[in-house]
Formats: sequence, structure tokens, C-alpha cells
Amino acid sequence: MRKEKFFRLLKILPLLFCLLTVDSALAQQKRKARPLGSGGGGNSAALRQQLSQALQLAKNSEFESAASALFLLSRRPELQGERAQIKYVLGLMLMEMKLNQVAAFQFVDVIRLKDERYTRLAIEKLSLVADTLGDDTLLNYSISKVDINTFPANNRDMLYFRLGEAKSKAGDFKGAIESFARVPLGSSYFNQALFAKGLAELEANDPDTASRTFRALVSARARAPVTDTNKVAGQLAYARALYQKQDWDAAIEAYANIPRDHVLWHDALFEQSWAMMRGARFRSALSNFQSLHSTYYEDFYIPESLLLRSIVYLYICKYDEMNKVLTQFEKVYGPVSGKVNEFIKTQNDPQAYFAEVEKGAKVKRTGEKENSNLRLPYIVMRFILGKGDVKRSLAYLKRVNDEKSRVDKNGDLRSTTVGQYALKVLNNRIKNTRVAIGDMSKAHLLNMRVELRDLYEQAGLIRYEMINGQKESIRKKISEKNLPENQIDDKVDRRFYVNNGYEYYPFRGEYWLDEIGNFHYLGRQSCE
Amino acid sequence: MRAFAIYIKGVFALLSFALALEVQTANAAEVVELPPEELARESVTPIFDKNESVKNRVIVTEGSWDVGVFGGLAMTEPIFNVSKAGLQVYYHVSESHAFGLLLAKNSNGISSNGQLLQKDQTIDFSRAPQADLQAFLDYNLKMFYGKMSVTKWVNFNTILMTTASVGTIKYTHKMYPAFAVGLANKFYVTPAWAFRFDLRLIANNAPVPFVKQKMRETDPVPEYSEFPERMHYSTNLEFGISYLF
Repeated sequence: MRKEKFFRLLKILPLLFCLLTVDSALAQQKRKARPLGSGGGGNSAALRQQLSQALQLAKNSEFESAASALFLLSRRPELQGERAQIKYVLGLMLMEMKLNQVAAFQFVDVIRLKDERYTRLAIEKLSLVADTLGDDTLLNYSISKVDINTFPANNRDMLYFRLGEAKSKAGDFKGAIESFARVPLGSSYFNQALFAKGLAELEANDPDTASRTFRALVSARARAPVTDTNKVAGQLAYARALYQKQDWDAAIEAYANIPRDHVLWHDALFEQSWAMMRGARFRSALSNFQSLHSTYYEDFYIPESLLLRSIVYLYICKYDEMNKVLTQFEKVYGPVSGKVNEFIKTQNDPQAYFAEVEKGAKVKRTGEKENSNLRLPYIVMRFILGKGDVKRSLAYLKRVNDEKSRVDKNGDLRSTTVGQYALKVLNNRIKNTRVAIGDMSKAHLLNMRVELRDLYEQAGLIRYEMINGQKESIRKKISEKNLPENQIDDKVDRRFYVNNGYEYYPFRGEYWLDEIGNFHYLGRQSCE
Repeated sequence: MRAFAIYIKGVFALLSFALALEVQTANAAEVVELPPEELARESVTPIFDKNESVKNRVIVTEGSWDVGVFGGLAMTEPIFNVSKAGLQVYYHVSESHAFGLLLAKNSNGISSNGQLLQKDQTIDFSRAPQADLQAFLDYNLKMFYGKMSVTKWVNFNTILMTTASVGTIKYTHKMYPAFAVGLANKFYVTPAWAFRFDLRLIANNAPVPFVKQKMRETDPVPEYSEFPERMHYSTNLEFGISYLF
């Protein structure tokens, strides 16, 4: 209870400080104004009276009324001297009303006014609202202005984390690692910071340290459930670090530790197949592909996996299988490539790209592809929706939309000047964010086009090797050197599996959810 | 992508090298030990946007007809012959629902139990009316689709259903309305052919095969209308074979 009171006090401290400052400033100005005693002073005195009343409303936690009054006062030229204070308090009121985006605009205005007394406070608050909103632009703006030493100690963890992110994005991995390392244990940013630190270490080509960092993250989440996202992300990143170290066996084992009932398991399965191939465990890699190329993955954009499978078949001289896989690649990704090309050629407006994202998100939510009117294949939209920048921007857009609906639903607020202003700001943000998401999607589509073009070239090269191999095989067959048609596990009895508690089912073409990840390739290799 | 391209080039270089050295890698008789850590023991399933328990079903019934023949036993029938044989035709509206028509012909005569009674008590049960034909409209709710594997190379799909029927049973002299509920299981040996087992509880108004002082051989022969009627329940086990098309 005492702790709770303390935090509540901390929360309202800036407001009290500000109100005291404004009160004392008004008192000083009143004293200064008194000798003038002119008619112009009467108007000014009335405004100051209104300001005083608005501040009183703020003190009494009547946020809406205070915000409305302060907004009007912030536009009065007579109160130019108090504008930074008014806007700062207005921002605080809007924060209390959960209108973070509109509040952020007030803090940006305060920073631009360059009033020494309020700039630092406004930067702090801007960092907090930008963090809540997940608005990268505002965050970068506030972080570029902030002085860590004067930033409140209780929010410094957020600042170190965001600074680390900004440095990482700028390619300053050493600086990023230092920033992330300063996020203390117990902070709500600790897990994310540890994860981001590991990533920066990987980027700095230090997989040994990175793997230790990821293990520390997993240890820190030891008591969390098996499917805890931070824990699983740590496990996956650890496996990736081992892969980067080219420790294939350890990486395979680490990938196998990712729980199956977590969304990251699909990535782990694909990456584990790479590790298996690099570790010359071809049969195991083909087992994984049986799952990855099942109908459960028909909406996953994984063209590389098909080529990888064909390469494994090349290794074991399975040319017919190779042909099937390459044909499958062309059958699936040929139309994808065509539609992406066509869309890029015919559409320039970011809103058109955003409309596709919106339709794709709806399909993802409802699972109904029919009547979705998607112009791009769903496989493409699902891939774009999974991209970090698009995901973050969509989350931000949702927060802004939620904020707008809060204003819309509040009839009293909507009819006020500040309500109208808030709607204008939010509509503008929504429009701009939609355009930004459209641009991001376009950039991803352009990358996809390049990638598919490249993969098609690789497919051609692989097909060439296949034909060479087939030629060689025919030559050997003519020389009567072909091999017997035995299955490689012929001698293993089914009872072996049953008696040891494993499951065994021959595959008949249908895929069962509980069998995904459990398929085993039992074919033989055909090389001579 | 660049890494992938470099990797592919590396693969081809390695293959060429292997070919140049004429590496002998094959041994078709090789027995592969599946690593125990790769064998299936998981009790959880992966998460997809839409978690469907099965995809690419081998047995697709939606929009299909199936026809079959079956034989059955009325397990709780004490007097008359318990066996019957019949035909069934179903239309599968979806993977969950099917409607069909059942026609069955009961075997005539007295069961072995009835014959014992007849011998000991000199009761002539042939004087009593007995079930002759059955016709039911049957609804199937296909609850579970699954599969079974009993050998290393063989598995077959199964469908477990609940059934509900309404129809009529024709006795020697009269037709009675009848209702039935039950459980059925189909075992698909191929995507088209299946064995079907039905356990059905049939309820119908039926004549009681006794009329006082008119059942012994020396008694006067009763009219069918003299046999009293009451609600009759019988448990039936049916076994059949069906073809899906």
C-alpha cells in the first residue's frame, strides 16, 4: 500500500510542480502588471483568471474540463509567456485522458518553444507516450533530445532500451550492447533488452557472447511456462547463434528444444532443416520438409525451402523427386511472382498497398479467403503481415484508432474545441500511418520480386544439375549398375516403435495436425 | 539471399569434387536407425492461423453417395429368428452430416430359444405375427474422423457416427412406426470401400407373441388382432460393407 501511494505521488509530482510553477509565475506577472493598471490589463487579467481556474480544474482531476480550457488558452497571444507551461499541463491532462497521441503533439510543441523550464520535462513525457504508442518517429525525436543524466531514474531503463534500439538500427552495435546492458534486472524492458543485446552481439559477429546472452535470457525465464514468448525467443536465438558458429549438431539440438505449440516453432523447423543439411543429416532434413511442404504450410511464403529440399535430393541422387519439387516451386511461386510484378507495375498509390494489407489482415483473422477481393496472393500478404515494421506500424495504427474511437464515443469531449483538434490530429496520424504501411509493404514486395527472380535463377541452376545427374544415372543403368529397391529401414519392425512408446503410421497422403513435425523420410539414397 | 546463392555454388562445387573422385556413397541394404530424439512422443500440436485437425483427407464424403449391404442380429429378440439382411443408401451433405435410407428383411422362423420353448411347452410361436420388413430414414452425425494402423505398412481411416432413424417395421399382419438411435463406425479399407458396424436401439409398438389359451398346438388358432400390443425395445448389431462414390 505504502509503495502504491509512493508511486501515485511520483506520478502526480510533475503536475504539482508545474502547477506550482505556473501559480508562482502568474503571481509574479500579476505583481508586475499591477503598476500598469490599464484597460488592456483588464483582458489579460481575465485570461489569467481563466488560466488559474483551468489549473484549479487540473488540480481537482477534472481532466476534460481542464484540457478544454487550457487548449483555448494555449492559443491566446496574450499568454505567449506561459504557452510552454500551458501546453505541458495540457499534455499531462491528455495523457490522463489516455489521448497519448494528442498529448505527444503538445510535448513536441513545448520542446520547440525552447522554454528551459519545461523542455526537459516535456522530453521525458514525450519519451513515455511515444513508448506507449510504439511510435518510432516520436521516440527517435525525443531520444535525440534527451539527456540521460537529467532523465528520471525510474524511467531510465526505457531510455537505455530505446537508445540501444536506435544505435542498433544505426549500425553502432558496440554502443547498442552497452545501452542494452544498462537495463537493470527487474525492469519490464529487461527481457527485451537482453534479447536485443544478443542480436547486436550476433550482428557484431560475436556468436559466443551472443549465445551466452541468450542462455542468460532463457535462465532468467526459467520459471516461466514452456511457451513463454521471451523464453522461446531466447531459445530460438540461442539456436541461431549456434548456427552462426557453424556448430550444426548443437544448433539442431537447440532448435529441437523449441516447443511445438509456439508460433516460433515453424521458423525453428525450417532453420533446423538448414542446420541438418549443413551437418549432412539429409534424411532428417527431408523428414522436416515433409512437414514444411504439407498443406498446413500452403499459406507460408517459404520458397527457399523447396530449393533446399531439391538440393538435398540432389545429394542423394533422387532426381525424380527433385523434379517434382522444382515443378512444385514453379507451380506455386510462378503465379506469385507474376501477380507481385503486375501489382507493382500497376499500383503506385501507397493506399492501394495498405488496402491489400488490410484485406490480408482480415483473411488472417477470419480464415476466409473467398470473397476477400485480395489482388495479391494471400501467401504474399501473410508474409508481409509478419514483417516486424508492418506489425509494429499496424499495432501503432490500432492504438491511434482506439484513441480516436475514445474521442468519438465521448460526446462531451467531441463537441469541444480540444475534441475537434484531437480528431483532426488523429485523423491525420491515421492517414499518414496508412501511407507509411503502404510504403513499407511496397518495399517488401519489391524485395520479394528481387528474391523470387534470384531464386528462379537458382532453380534453373539446380535443374541443370538434375539433368546432368539423370544423364549419369541413365548411363549407369545401361551399364546395368542400378541398385535394388529396398527401403532403408526394412529391417526395423513396427513393434520397435510401439514397444518404446513411439507412434508409427504409414503415410497415405493426408496430413494430421498432431503428426506435423513427426514425419520421417524412409527413402533410400540412389547414388552409386 | 546472397548467402543462399553462395551456398548453392558451394554445393555444386562439392558435388563436382565428389564426382571427380568417384566417391562411392551408396549402400542400399543400409539400415537407418531413426534417432530417438526425432521420434514422435509430443503431446502438443503446432499452432497455425486456423488449426484444422486434418488436411488433404483421404476419405472425402461431402457431396458423395454411398451404398451398402448389411446383415444384422436382433440381440435381445427371445423368440423369433434374430438375423436380418438389408440395403442402405446414404447421401453425405457434408463431412459432418449424412442422410440415408435403410431397407431390411428379417429372417422368418423361430430362434433356437423359441424352439426350445416350443418343444418343452408345446407352444406354437408360428401363430404369432413376426417382424418381416424394416424401412428407416437414417440421419448420421459424423463425429470423429480418424485413422488406425495395425501393421507397419497398413493403416485405415475410420469415421465414428451417431445415428438417429425414423421408419416403419412391417409385421406379418400390420405395419408399426419405429424409431432408432445408435452408434456406428466405418472402417475404410480403401478410399471407397468400408466396413460398417452399427449398434442400434430400435423402439416400436409391436404385438406380444402370446395369447392366453391359444398358443398350444391343441388350442384354437388366434386371430392376429387378438395379440396384445406394447412398446418393444430391441438392440441390434449390424455389420455391412459400403461403397462411396
